[in-house]
Amino acid sequence: MDRIQIPATSRSPLVDFDFAAGHLLLRGESYPEDAAAFYGPLLRSLRAYLEDGATPLTFDVALSYFNSSSAKALMNLFMPLEDAAQEGRPVTIRWLYAEGDDTIAEAGEDFAADFSHARFEMVQETAA
Amino acid sequence: MLATDFMAFHEASRRNGIILSFGGDLSENVLFSLGEVLKLRMQQGATDAAVSKRVFSVFVEQAQNIIRYSADKLVPPGSPAGGLVSAGLIVVGVEGGRFFVACGNEVPGEHVTGLRARLDHIAGLSGDELRKYYRERLRQPADEGSLGGSIGLIEIARRASAPVEYDFQARGDDRCFFCLKAFI
Repeated sequence: MDRIQIPATSRSPLVDFDFAAGHLLLRGESYPEDAAAFYGPLLRSLRAYLEDGATPLTFDVALSYFNSSSAKALMNLFMPLEDAAQEGRPVTIRWLYAEGDDTIAEAGEDFAADFSHARFEMVQETAA
Repeated sequence: MLATDFMAFHEASRRNGIILSFGGDLSENVLFSLGEVLKLRMQQGATDAAVSKRVFSVFVEQAQNIIRYSADKLVPPGSPAGGLVSAGLIVVGVEGGRFFVACGNEVPGEHVTGLRARLDHIAGLSGDELRKYYRERLRQPADEGSLGGSIGLIEIARRASAPVEYDFQARGDDRCFFCLKAFI
C-alpha cells in the first residue's frame, strides 16, 4: 500500500498515512470544502490496507478544529480500525489535543467511548 | 440620499452589535474568507479562545447549512458539495455581552415539517443529552439528501449557551424562509 502524504491547507489537515510503518497521522484543522471528497480516498486506502496482515497500527489524530462533516468522516475511519482490532490486529488511536482545549478533549472522549478492542489514548500536548 | 441610507444601515448594524453580516450567494470560498476575518475580529477583540472556537464552529455549520440546503441555489443541486453556491444571510454579533450567530435562507416547503421536528427535538435536550444524541448520530449513516454528517444542527446546539431559536415564515409559494439563531 503506497504511503499517502498530503500537505496541510488552511482548512484541511496534513495527512501522512505510512502504511508500511504502521503509522497514520492527521494534523491541523479540518473543514474541507467537501469532506466526502477529502476523506473518501483515505478511507478506501485504509480499508484496502486492513484487508491483509495484522501489522500493529498507530493512528495519531491531532486536529485543533474539525466541522461536523469531518467528525462523520473520522468516525468512518475509526470504525474499520475497531473491527480490525476485534479481529486481532493491535490498533492504537492517539488523540492529541492542546493543553486547555476542552472542546477537542471532550470530542476525543466521545470517540473513545466507541472503542472496546482498539486502544484509545488521550494525549495532551503542551504548547511549544 | 445614498449616503444617508447606507449610513443608517451601517449604524443600525453597529447599534445591534453586528460584527459581520453577509447576504447573498455563499460558496465554500466565501465561507472561508468570512471565517478568516471573523477569527481576526475576535482575536483583536481579545475574545476568550474557547468562546472564539465555539463562535467559529457555529458559523461554519450555519454557513455550510446555507450552502448545502438553501432552496435558492445559483449552482444547482447535484454539483459536488465543494462547488455549490446558494443564497442566504449570515450574521455574527454581540448582544447583551454574548456572541450570537444567526442565519436565514429559503428552504423547500416540503422540508419544513422534518426540519422543524429535528429542531424541536434538539432544542428540548439538555447538554448531556445533546452529547449523547451527537454520538448516536455520528455512528449512524447520514440522512437521505444530507451532504454532511446530519449532525451540524446538533453541533450548533452543543456549542450554544442557550437553546437555539428558530422560525419559519411562509412565502406564499412552494418555499419557506427559515431562520436560526444561536447564542454562544
